[in-house]
Amino acid sequence: MVAPEVYNVSQSPITSHAFNADRTQVAVSLNTNEVQILSRSGLDWTPTETLSEHDKIVTSIDWAPNSNRIVTASQDRNAYVWQQASDPLTGRLVWKPTLVLLRINRAATFVRWSPFEDKFAVASGARAIAICSFDPDNNWWVAKQLKKPIRSTVLSVDWHPNNVLLAAGSADMKARVFSAYIKDVDKRPPPSVWGEKLPFNTVCGEYSSPSGGWVHSVGFSPSGDVLAFASHDSTINVVYPGGPAVYTIRSNSLPYISLTWTSEDAIVAAGHDCQPVLFSGGPSGWQAAGSLDDTTAPKSSVGARGGFTGSSPVGRLNSAAFNTFRNADSRGLGSSHGGGTPLATDTELFTVHQNTITNIRPYDGAPGAVSRVSTSGVDGKLVIWSVNAVSGLGTKLKALRVG
Amino acid sequence: MNFNFRKIDVDAYDEDVLLETELYDPDPRGPQQVIEDAKAKAASVRTSLAKGDNLGALVTILDNPPYGPNVEEAKNLTLQTVVTVLNSTKATDIPNVVRSLPPEAQDTLMKYLYKGMSLPGWGDVSGSVLLGWHEKLTEVAGTGCIVRAMTDRRLL
Repeated sequence: MVAPEVYNVSQSPITSHAFNADRTQVAVSLNTNEVQILSRSGLDWTPTETLSEHDKIVTSIDWAPNSNRIVTASQDRNAYVWQQASDPLTGRLVWKPTLVLLRINRAATFVRWSPFEDKFAVASGARAIAICSFDPDNNWWVAKQLKKPIRSTVLSVDWHPNNVLLAAGSADMKARVFSAYIKDVDKRPPPSVWGEKLPFNTVCGEYSSPSGGWVHSVGFSPSGDVLAFASHDSTINVVYPGGPAVYTIRSNSLPYISLTWTSEDAIVAAGHDCQPVLFSGGPSGWQAAGSLDDTTAPKSSVGARGGFTGSSPVGRLNSAAFNTFRNADSRGLGSSHGGGTPLATDTELFTVHQNTITNIRPYDGAPGAVSRVSTSGVDGKLVIWSVNAVSGLGTKLKALRVG
Repeated sequence: MNFNFRKIDVDAYDEDVLLETELYDPDPRGPQQVIEDAKAKAASVRTSLAKGDNLGALVTILDNPPYGPNVEEAKNLTLQTVVTVLNSTKATDIPNVVRSLPPEAQDTLMKYLYKGMSLPGWGDVSGSVLLGWHEKLTEVAGTGCIVRAMTDRRLL
């Protein structure tokens, strides 16, 4: 089992992270109105540049691998596209912002470049998604809005590989697939399982989890024929539009916030449970295969943490905080004189991430054959996981079930 | 300075307000059908209980429960029936019953446990019985089951 690479980037939450194409730099936002670019130096990441143009917290960052452009979205209702240009005075390469005319009256929540990098989608609290394309006449980015039938804040988007379809997860409990076809930019897409004629704002599908919940994250499979979404009812749902079948995987643990496909038959999801979990399956069904985080490893002497693979299915209820209160209740042990253990170890989780994971993204490998993923979260850690690390665990679990 | 503006219902001024009923799919059965279903299930639960088949009774009553507005009678009847089954199950049988329930029924049972706990003293609702079930159900279905009971807008 390959141990994950763990980097303590900051003490404050990492709201978003995006690597450049060769993974030598990463853009992060540390819950502020600035974006920091960190460069790899040996075994650590050092801040090299700061992008400051936003007035409020930066909510999402995406780095286009081929055109080397960064797009940032913020609660100040703006998005900027950053491009490297040489400074006329010093000749150094600096990041220059270009304004995007979003025309939204609420925070921008999420942003993603399209696969061909000629468009990007900005999700927002204004019940709309702005599909932005470049207008060379005015040297800025203009937006066309997807509005109907969105009823609440859009929390995440994901592009179909054909550069036209867009999936969106929203706080109105729905995951939807839209056409984001822009006449001057896109060629007519070939027919797919999502439909044949696709003018702008065609709704190709609308799905929700059986027990509802905000849809935190959406993702098209590498082929684009399958859609997965994670919602706040602790489920992952996998949609086969041709089926028509929706597979719901109920988790024993807390809700997932972010997910990514690593191959056509595998998804990694992470969230409030603080550990990335691998799901595997296909058109005939889906199930959880195991955690990428080896929580049974002897990181602490307290014993195995009950995740969904652990011995205690109660999960996080069986945590140190829970035990503290239970001891206070049953034995009258106050926290003021409760033993000699320092507070820091009392609240330590047995997972690598010590708080909610808010972002998970592919790190290594082509789409459909991702071998490593990166996560960042509220604990200020940036972690790179090997997806294959779980396969041993997965087979072990299956063997257990058979035996 | 007047602070009463905090009490203004701002939604009343929003032409495009998001309504509670838009957050879930309405029951395809009409109110009349729902109450008939609830009565039929209550009867079959009594038969199952008489035979000592508590698991069967629970599976029956937790399938397709009434939710949403205008079905108060069916909701009360179903809650009463669920509580009867819960009260008549021996504490030692609870872990096995809970484990044998399908996942959807586990989520629905959790919703009824929380509904029961919100109505202390209603009918035969007993807090200690509900807490006993809650403990065993959480051991099997985890915190995820509790999260689903909280997020589900199809109120029982």
